[in-house]
Amino acid sequence: MKRLIDSGLEQVSSMLIRMGELAQEAVSLSVISYLENSKNHIQIKDISTNVSSMVDPIEDTIFEIMVRFQPVASDLRILKSYIKICYDFERFGRYAFDIAQIYEKLGGTKEPAFKHIIEEMSENVIEMVNTSIQSLKRHDVEQAKKLTENEKKVDELYRQYLDTLIGSKITKVTMISSLLVVRYLERIADHASYIGESVIYLSTGERTKLR
Amino acid sequence: MGKIDVKNLNIWFTDNHVIKDVSLELKSNSVTAFMGPSGCGKTTFLRAINRLNDLIVGSKTTGEIRIVGQNIYDKDVEIFELRRRVGMVFQKPNPFPKSIFDNVAFGPQLHGLDEKEELKTIVEKSLREAALWDEVKDRLEKSALDLSGGQQQRLCIARALAVNPDVILMDEPCSALDPIATAKIESLMRKLANRYTVVIVTHNMQQAARVSDYTVFLYLGKLIESGTTKNVFENPTNELTEKYITGEFG
Repeated sequence: MKRLIDSGLEQVSSMLIRMGELAQEAVSLSVISYLENSKNHIQIKDISTNVSSMVDPIEDTIFEIMVRFQPVASDLRILKSYIKICYDFERFGRYAFDIAQIYEKLGGTKEPAFKHIIEEMSENVIEMVNTSIQSLKRHDVEQAKKLTENEKKVDELYRQYLDTLIGSKITKVTMISSLLVVRYLERIADHASYIGESVIYLSTGERTKLR
Repeated sequence: MGKIDVKNLNIWFTDNHVIKDVSLELKSNSVTAFMGPSGCGKTTFLRAINRLNDLIVGSKTTGEIRIVGQNIYDKDVEIFELRRRVGMVFQKPNPFPKSIFDNVAFGPQLHGLDEKEELKTIVEKSLREAALWDEVKDRLEKSALDLSGGQQQRLCIARALAVNPDVILMDEPCSALDPIATAKIESLMRKLANRYTVVIVTHNMQQAARVSDYTVFLYLGKLIESGTTKNVFENPTNELTEKYITGEFG
């Protein structure tokens, strides 16, 4: 028998997944634009603003469910995790916008050594964002756990980037541009991992570190 | 004070095996809530702690319930003294048709105390502890039956406290009360836990979540899960508990 709370949980789940898909679009577009030297600053800003504007309605819906149904056990864990994931998606959108702004103000980087690292980081980060959303859709613990591998790779590339940066002779502008983008990519990867951790927690009650 | 150790408790009412081999520890200075669907044995378990089930013809109890080390089912245990140490508050307030003062003084008098000043002190202390003193101090000689339902229930708590118990048992103490009276009793339960071992039976899961430190889930007479209230309500380990508290059955 369907419980009264189930309709509320389904509603908030679909709102959150829609938010995640928009945030994913913002991340992919910003990263590709940066790497391919194309200006999509305005479009990314719009998507990012849309993502941010979804935070309040999602939180309001969650609080209404809490007030009406006083959820416990897995219902409570789901709602608690959804609040955290909502913040993670908001961060995806914000970092995507930051990357777009950097390209707008400082341009990209043509330096092959850096470009290669950023490309590889971007591939991993986009895959992580996608995996985190897919694991959320199905509350899939095994898929969430796969994020660890990409997370390690992103961290490794981040360190590799910093090592390459030291002693390099690139211009200051290229250095600042690439440094910030790499930093934002690393943060997006962290938030994707947080989402994976939340999916594991809401499904099993176990607190796991995927980082 | 008041720690309760239950070991292999079994209770039958003639052929009906109501409590099935339950073992657990109820910690002192805390509130433990028992929950479970109707007929799961919550009230029977509670009534075993002051041997009220003995009054039912055909009841049989095996196993142990130790309060501060002493098995209350030992042959040499005096039931009268046991029920002083283990007070009980029932679902429906049941004040005696006497004055407010006499209701609270009744227990100490029954235990042989008749010194007027001492009785006055005990009555005031008990009513204060039950958070009722300020509301009744000017009408102690009035009938207890004139009090509101919530006040009557707090009077019953004061009556239990007057004989200086170690344990307070409460069987759905708020089920007949409105939300304001319920909030007062719940707040009182928390205060009482500073001095006593409080054990409650409740059908209201939110109440269990609000007031208790520990929660026990019984189903068909068996102990399914017990633990801190936080863990039981946030992350139950047993699937039956999960289904019960999330409303999938009951």
